[in-house]
Amino acid sequence: MQHMTVGNAGTADADILRIANLTKTYGRFSALKSVSLSVRRGSIHGLLGENGAGKSTLVGMISGQRQPTSGTITLNGIEVQGHDVKEMEKAGVFLVTQEPMIIDHMSVAENLLLGIWPRKGWLIDWKRLRRDAARMLQDTDIDPGQRAGTLDAVARRKLNILRAMFSGGRVVILDEPTASLDVEARQQLFAFMRRLKAEGVTFIFISHYNDEILEICDAVSVLRDGELAGGSDDVGEMTSDMLSELVLGRGLSLFQRQRRTFGADEAAIVVEGVRARNVAVDAFRIHPGEIVGFAGLPGAGAKEFARCLFGLVHAKDGTMRLEPNSPAVKLPGHPFEAYRRGIAFLSDDRRKDGLVGHLSIGANMSLSSLPALSRRGFVDVEAEREIISRYFAGMGVKAPNPEVAIDTLSGGNQQKVCLGRVLATEPKLLILDEPTRGIDVGVKQDVHRIIDELSGQGVAVIVVTTDSDEMIRLVDRVCVFSAGSIVGELTGEAISKDRLRQISG
Amino acid sequence: MSNVSIKAEAAPRPRSGTSNRAIVGWVLHNVVWIWLAILVVFFGLFNSFFFTVFNFQNIMVQATVLGMLATAVALPLLVAEIDLSIPANLGFSSAVGALAVTDYGAPWWLGALFGIAVATAIGFFNGLCITRLRMVSLIQTLSMMIILQGALLALTQGKTITSLPEGYTWIGQATIDGWPIMPLVFVVALIFMAVLLRRTVLGRSIYAVGGNAAAANSAGIRVDRTKIVAFTIAGFLAGIGGFLLASWQMAITSNQGSSFLLYAIAAPIIGGVSVFGGRGNVVGVFGGVMLLTVIQVGLAIIAVPSFYVGMIGGVMIFIAVAIDAIRVRYFQ
Repeated sequence: MQHMTVGNAGTADADILRIANLTKTYGRFSALKSVSLSVRRGSIHGLLGENGAGKSTLVGMISGQRQPTSGTITLNGIEVQGHDVKEMEKAGVFLVTQEPMIIDHMSVAENLLLGIWPRKGWLIDWKRLRRDAARMLQDTDIDPGQRAGTLDAVARRKLNILRAMFSGGRVVILDEPTASLDVEARQQLFAFMRRLKAEGVTFIFISHYNDEILEICDAVSVLRDGELAGGSDDVGEMTSDMLSELVLGRGLSLFQRQRRTFGADEAAIVVEGVRARNVAVDAFRIHPGEIVGFAGLPGAGAKEFARCLFGLVHAKDGTMRLEPNSPAVKLPGHPFEAYRRGIAFLSDDRRKDGLVGHLSIGANMSLSSLPALSRRGFVDVEAEREIISRYFAGMGVKAPNPEVAIDTLSGGNQQKVCLGRVLATEPKLLILDEPTRGIDVGVKQDVHRIIDELSGQGVAVIVVTTDSDEMIRLVDRVCVFSAGSIVGELTGEAISKDRLRQISG
Repeated sequence: MSNVSIKAEAAPRPRSGTSNRAIVGWVLHNVVWIWLAILVVFFGLFNSFFFTVFNFQNIMVQATVLGMLATAVALPLLVAEIDLSIPANLGFSSAVGALAVTDYGAPWWLGALFGIAVATAIGFFNGLCITRLRMVSLIQTLSMMIILQGALLALTQGKTITSLPEGYTWIGQATIDGWPIMPLVFVVALIFMAVLLRRTVLGRSIYAVGGNAAAANSAGIRVDRTKIVAFTIAGFLAGIGGFLLASWQMAITSNQGSSFLLYAIAAPIIGGVSVFGGRGNVVGVFGGVMLLTVIQVGLAIIAVPSFYVGMIGGVMIFIAVAIDAIRVRYFQ
C-alpha cells in the first residue's frame, strides 16, 4: 500500500489543491490529525472512510465552512487565508451536499441561477436567464422550463453540480452523491461526471462504496480515525479488499451466507393475486427461515410489492396466508395491522419514514412494539426498558446510552436502531428495503450477520436491494421483477454478479 | 449478536467549557420558571399585596381557565397541527349547556355534561376534517372558530346568560377554609395529561406522529386516529374549561372565551411546546400558563393604567418567546 505520493509525481501546476498537515481539534478531541494530500487538476479524487473518520471535517475545511486548527490548504499554488465559504466559492471550490438544495416550485432555470440571477438594473433579466440555463443544460435531458419539483433524484444531483459549475466551480466536492440513487441513475451521474472531467473540472468524490471508488475515481485517499490511512494516485492498482482493509485498518472477513434450499411441500407464507398500482403478482411463497431477494429495475414493482405486503401501499386485491392451515386473508390495510400479524418492514429512507429524529434511541426502538408492551393503553415501563436495553446492546449501537436523541447518531447507527425497532416486534415476516444503503462496510457486515441469525430463528426475510454484492452474499433465492410481476427466480449458483447486472440493466 | 469492533461513530462533542455550558443550558431550559420568579419578585416589590395568600388564590383561580385552554391547545400542537377554535368552543359549548338548564329545565349537572359533550364532539369533528378530508388545520379551525363565535352570538341573541342555578355555579364559587376548589380541576387535568403523554401508548404515539408522521405511520402507528383523538381530548378539555368559566363568572356573555384566544395559544408555546410538533411537556405548559397569569394579575395589582396593560403584557410575552428562540438555537 503506498501513501500519497501525488504531490511528488508532477510539477506544482499539476495539483489544483494541496493540503498539508491539516488538523482540526474540538477541545481534546481531534477530528482530523495532520492530514496531507494532493488533488490533481482535472481528476476525480475519491475520499473513503467510515462514518466519523473525518471526511466531512476535511471537506468542510476545504470548502471554507470550518476553520482548520492548524495546517494549510493551497489552491492553485496560493495558500488559502481566512477560510470563508464565499471566498472559497469565488475561488471555485464548491461543496454539493447529499440533500440537493432545490426549490421545488421554481423552474429548473431559476434554480440553476438561484442568487446569481442575471440582472437588468433592478430587475431580473429573464431572457438571459433562460438562454444561459438552456446552454448549460444542452447535453442533459433536463428541460430548463420544467418545475424542479418534477425532477427525479439523479436530475436533482446533476442540477446541483451544474449550479456549482455555473457559479464558476472548478473543484466540486460531492458528498455521497449516489446515496438513494439506483444503479441506472448512478451510471447516468457517473457519465455526467466524466463529461465534466473532460472539460477540466476536478471532483472530490465521497462514497461509502468501494466499487464506486474503483469505477469512477482516478485517485483515492482513505481516512481512518481522523488520519490518512493510505491511498493511491492510481486507482487501477487498488482492489476492493485493499480499500476495505484501509478503511477498517484490518482484513475484513466478508459475510457469506450458507445458502439454504426449501422444498415445495414445506410450510410457507403464501401470497396470491396481488393487484396494486404497478403491481401484478399472481403468486409468491416464502418459507420460515428463508431469505428472498427482490431484484429489478426501479419501477419494476419490487419495492411496491414489498410495501403492499406491509400495507404501506394500498392493494386493490390480494390475499396472504401466514400459517399453512390458517385461512387466506386480505393483505394488511395499514402497517398497524401488518405488525399485529407479525409482518415488519424497514424503509430504504430512514430520515423520511424510518425514525423520529428528536426522540431518544429508546423511544424509537420501542415505537413499533408499544401495543405489545402495554396493558389497557398504558405502557409497561419495565418491559419497555428491558426491550430497549436488549436491542440497544444486541444491535451494538454506538452511543453512551439509549436516552440520547437519535439525531446525533451516524447513519449506520441510526439504521441499527431502526432495525432494532422492527426486530423488537418479533416478526414472522421481515421486509427490508435497502437495509445497508449509505452505511459503511463494517456496519454492513453486522447487519448481514443479524439478518442471517434471524433466518436461523425461523424468520422469513425479504430483502429488496440494488446492491448485487449484498444479494449474492445474503439471500437464498432471488425474485426478479419486471413490469410489476415476478418474471423469474434465481437460486444457487445462478445468483451471480453477471446475472444480476443483466436484470438491473 | 455480532460484535464487530467499530470505531466510535457518534459525533464527539466539544468538551471545552463543559460546566459553563451546563449552567447556561440549565438557565435556558428553565427560562420560563426563572422569568416567572423574577416577575413575582418584581411585582411583589412594587406592591406587597402581591405576596398575600389572597392574591395567590386569585392567581390560581385566574390560571385555571387559561390552563384548561392551554392544555387543550397543546395537544393539537404536539401532533403538528393547530386548533384555533378551542377558546370559541369553550364559549359556545358552555352556552349550549347553560341554555339546556335555563331554558329547557335540565338539571344543572346534565347541562354541564351536555356542554362538555358538545365541546368534545366539536373537537372530534375538527379531527375528522383534518385527517379524513385532509383539510389544513390552521384554516379549518379558524373557520370553525368564526362559526362557533357566530353561533354563540346567535344563540344568546347578544344577551348575557345569567340566572345559572346554584349547583351549576358551585364549583366556581366553593371554598374550603377560604381556598377556592376550582384550581383543583386544573391540577387534575395536568396530572391526567402528564400520565397520558408519558405513560400511555396514545401519548407516545402523539409524540411520534408530531415528530415524523411518515415514520410513525410505517412504525405501525395509526396516524389519523392519533390526531383525531388529540383533537377530541382538546375539545373535551375546552368543554370543562367552558363550564368552569361560566360557573366562576356566573354568566355567559355573547363573546365568552374570545379574549382567551391569543393567550391560550401563547401559553403552551412559551412553555416549550413546539409549533412544529413532537416537542413539549405538561410542566412547560403549566409554566407558560403561570407566567401569563402572573403578568396579567401583576400588572393589575401594581395599578398600571389600563391603557398600557396590553402593551406591557405583550412585551413581556415577547421577551419570553425571544429567550426561548435563543434556547433553541443554543442547543442546535
